[in-house]
Amino acid sequence: MSAKVITVTSGKGGVGKTTVTANLASALAMLDKRVVAIDADIGLRNLDVVMGLENRIVYDLVDVIEGRCRLRQAMIKDKRQPELYLIPAAQTRDKMAVSPSDMILVCDQLRQEMDYIIIDSPAGIERGFRNAIAPSDQVLIVTNPEVSSVRDADRIIGLIEAEEKGPGYLIVNRLKPEMVARGDMLSVDDVLDILAIQLIGVIPEDESILISTNQGLPVAMTSANGSSASHAFRNVAQRVAGDSVPFLDLTPKTGLRGWWKNLVNGR
Amino acid sequence: MSNQPSPEISIKGIRDGLLVIMGSGDYAEVLARLDAELAEKQDFLQGSRIALEVGERPLQRHQLAEIQHIFARHRLLLWTVLANQETTKSAARELELAIRLPGSHTDLDGNALRAAPASGSYQQTAEVAPGAGLIMKETLRSGRSVYHEGPVVILGDVNPGAEVIAAGDVLVWGRLRGLVHAGALGDETAVICALDLSPTQLRIADQIAIPPETKRRKAEPEQAAIRDGQIIAEPWQTR
Repeated sequence: MSAKVITVTSGKGGVGKTTVTANLASALAMLDKRVVAIDADIGLRNLDVVMGLENRIVYDLVDVIEGRCRLRQAMIKDKRQPELYLIPAAQTRDKMAVSPSDMILVCDQLRQEMDYIIIDSPAGIERGFRNAIAPSDQVLIVTNPEVSSVRDADRIIGLIEAEEKGPGYLIVNRLKPEMVARGDMLSVDDVLDILAIQLIGVIPEDESILISTNQGLPVAMTSANGSSASHAFRNVAQRVAGDSVPFLDLTPKTGLRGWWKNLVNGR
Repeated sequence: MSNQPSPEISIKGIRDGLLVIMGSGDYAEVLARLDAELAEKQDFLQGSRIALEVGERPLQRHQLAEIQHIFARHRLLLWTVLANQETTKSAARELELAIRLPGSHTDLDGNALRAAPASGSYQQTAEVAPGAGLIMKETLRSGRSVYHEGPVVILGDVNPGAEVIAAGDVLVWGRLRGLVHAGALGDETAVICALDLSPTQLRIADQIAIPPETKRRKAEPEQAAIRDGQIIAEPWQTR
C-alpha cells in the first residue's frame, strides 16, 4: 500500500486552496481513508486554523526537516476523524527553509502509512509552489470563475505540464449559478474552454464556508443535508477516490432547466 | 598535486539530450579527460545537445568558451551550463548559454528567474535553422513565449498570456487568444492566420493592433495583414 500525493494549487491567492485542502482531506477521512494534510505555505500557515487544530501545534514541517522531531510528533491528530492528520507549516520561517527534495523525502516516509497525502500549496509560482508539487502524484488546480484566476490557473497548468506532473484536475470554486445565468459570471464551460483539462469539482458559493472556516470545522464534516458546498466537497472526495459521481445540479431555482446539463456533460 | 581526486567526467542521457557532469580536480586535467571521453564515445554521442553541470567550480568566460570549443570539435552543441557560482553563471550568460534546463523555472538554488523574453522561454529554436519553419503541436498556455527567426505554425491554441514572436508568418490552427507578433524583424508582408482570431493584441512588423471591443458572432478562420499601413483582419476565403 502506498499513498497518493495530491497537491492543491492555484497560482492566484485567495481562490480557496486551503478551504479545498481542508475539506478534501476531511471528506476523504470520512470515507474511512487514512489522510494527512500538509501545509506547505511556510511563513503564512493557516490550514491549521481552518481545520481547528491551531492550539495543538507543538512541532511543524520545518522541525521535521531540520531534525528537531520525528515525523510522527509533527502529525496532529484531528479531533473528529480518527485517521485524519495535519502537518502544519512553520510560522516563523520562510519558504527557503524547505526544498523540493525535503518534501519528497517527507512524503516518501508517509506513503507507507497513509492512503492520501494532501498538500496545500502557497500562492505564486516560486519556491513554495515548487516544494508543493515536487512529491505530487496528482495536481488539483483551484480556480474561481473570473478571468484573472483562470489566467493564473492556465499558467500553473503550463508549469506542471513542463514538470511532467500535468495536466491536473480542475476545481471551479465559488460559482454563483444566478450570476452565471444572468451572464455576469464565467460559466464552468467558459473556464473549461480556456483551460481544457478534466473537471473534478464545482463548488458553489456558500455562506456556510465562511462560518465553518471561522469555527475551524471543515464544512464537509457538517451535517449531511446541510450546505450545497459540503455536498460538493464530499463529491470531489469520492471522485478523487475513484468513484464516478454526477455533478450537482446547480441550476438556479427560477427555471432554465437543461442549461446546466449542457454545461457539465457537454464535453 | 597527486592527492587530488582523479578528474571525473560522467555522461548521462536526459530528456533534452545529454548531461555531462564535470567532477572536481585540476582544470587542465578535467579538460583533457573530457576531450578523451568525448573522442572515445564520439560515434555514440554525435549531434547531441549538451547540458554541462559544473557544480561549485568557478569558470571564467574564456574557460567556458574553451569547453564550448571542445564540444564543438566533437560535433556537440553546448547549450546549458548548470553552475552554482555566480561568476560561472554570468560567464555562461555572456556566451548566450542557458543556465538551466528547459521546463525548470528556477535556477539551481531554487530561485525563481526573472522573466526574460526569448531566453526565458521554453522553446528555444537551436535545432531549427533560422528561416526554416517551426511547427509546434501543442497549446501554448499563459506565460509561454515562443521566439523564432522564421515562420511559426501552432497546431493548438494560443491562450491569453502566451506570446509568439516570429520573423515570418504565424499560423495558428486553433484559437488565437494571446499575443502574436509576425514579421518581428520588420517584414511588413508577414501575415497572421488563425481558425479563431480573438487575440489580446496583434503585431506585424512595427504595427500594433487590438481587436474591436464588440462581441464576436461566430468564430471563423481569419487572416490579418498590413493593408495601407494598418493591420486588417479579413475572413479567410477558400479559393
